[in-house]
Amino acid sequence: MIDDTAERDELIQRVARSLSPLPPNDTHARARILAAVRARAAHAPKPWSVVFDWMRQPAFSVASAGLLAAAALAIGFVTRGALSTLDMQPNAIASSAPATNVTAIPASNAPAAVRAVPVPITFDAPGAKNVAIVSDFNDWDSTAAPLTRFGSNGPWTATVNVMPGRHLYAFMVDGKLVVDPRAPHAHDLDYGTDASVLMVNTP
Amino acid sequence: MKNKNMTRYAAFVAAALVAAISGAGAQQGVQPERRITAISDDATRSVVIEQLTLAKESGLPAGAMEPLMAKAMEGVAKKATSKSIRSAMDALQKRLRKANDLLAPSPTVDELSAGADALYVGVPERTLKQMRQAAPRRSIAVELGVLTELVARSVPPAKASKMVLDLMARGATGAQLTAMNTAVQSDVAAGLTPEAALDRHGRGIMSLLPPPSAVTGANHR
Repeated sequence: MIDDTAERDELIQRVARSLSPLPPNDTHARARILAAVRARAAHAPKPWSVVFDWMRQPAFSVASAGLLAAAALAIGFVTRGALSTLDMQPNAIASSAPATNVTAIPASNAPAAVRAVPVPITFDAPGAKNVAIVSDFNDWDSTAAPLTRFGSNGPWTATVNVMPGRHLYAFMVDGKLVVDPRAPHAHDLDYGTDASVLMVNTP
Repeated sequence: MKNKNMTRYAAFVAAALVAAISGAGAQQGVQPERRITAISDDATRSVVIEQLTLAKESGLPAGAMEPLMAKAMEGVAKKATSKSIRSAMDALQKRLRKANDLLAPSPTVDELSAGADALYVGVPERTLKQMRQAAPRRSIAVELGVLTELVARSVPPAKASKMVLDLMARGATGAQLTAMNTAVQSDVAAGLTPEAALDRHGRGIMSLLPPPSAVTGANHR
């Protein structure tokens, strides 16, 4: 009876020992989950809901709305007049204000139903100091969508807002263009440098 | 009293519309100018301005300046010569003009760009027109993107066009088409011919969809 108990205890201890080591840590999965959570948080509609609640209240008379429309018309035409004076000549361009960072969301006249989709991006570059995603959706601007390192030596991650469709991209790693080894490549006949392909679905 | 008042929302929308319409011309023109300042090389900057001006004068819609600008900046990022950038922008301008005609009456920026990419890899012009006819009131940027990828992966253009058009006629979603494209690529990587892979996965999705007559309304939305 004593032997049976001792054997059972030994068996339980062996099972416990085999189960106690944790499975290997998947840094990519963690990075992807965190990027997705950040994307969702970035799209939380809380501040807007307050504005929309305010706007739903009946407060303007037709007359005041007319005044508002007139003011908007004036703003529109003033804006047009001011901005149309910018001439597209090399000297005028060179002397104008310095470039600002380009947002990852492209300007588009797409129908209202089509919206940019948050896409989590991860990339392995253990020894890199700076990594950014450059693509047609951000005018290949290496300052528009920098990636941040996950942990001290983990993958680089970012979430970019991209319109549905097919996009070409690469990573700018310490000033050098690198294609994504985990995505299909597209041959570029124009400049002779391949790019990676990102397909984004309509949400 | 309720009839005499309008909600703040309606007033806001009306004001925004008026401001947007009256200022639209300026907004479309200012963004490329800002981005041009980021080009440090004088020769390249001149080429980009020249090409954008030519595109504007040729009657391309203002939205088409976006992909043209992106093409120029891609060349800058890839350290291409100003000659290569001029050539690439000129070729893209021609494709955008063609795509604008084929995807008429009012293609979005993304559709124009996707249409130009489709023409670049060899999708027949007729296909773009048929795709627009199949879905006149919704964006077909995803469908064009999938078709471009299939043709770029060596699926014969006629075969890929027919499959995508058939799937659109049956109301396949963008997600279904993208999934099909991914599956085709996996099969091709595993050794199947592109044509056979498309046939296999296209038919698989087709079997899940209703007949074309049942989905005509969905595509026309």
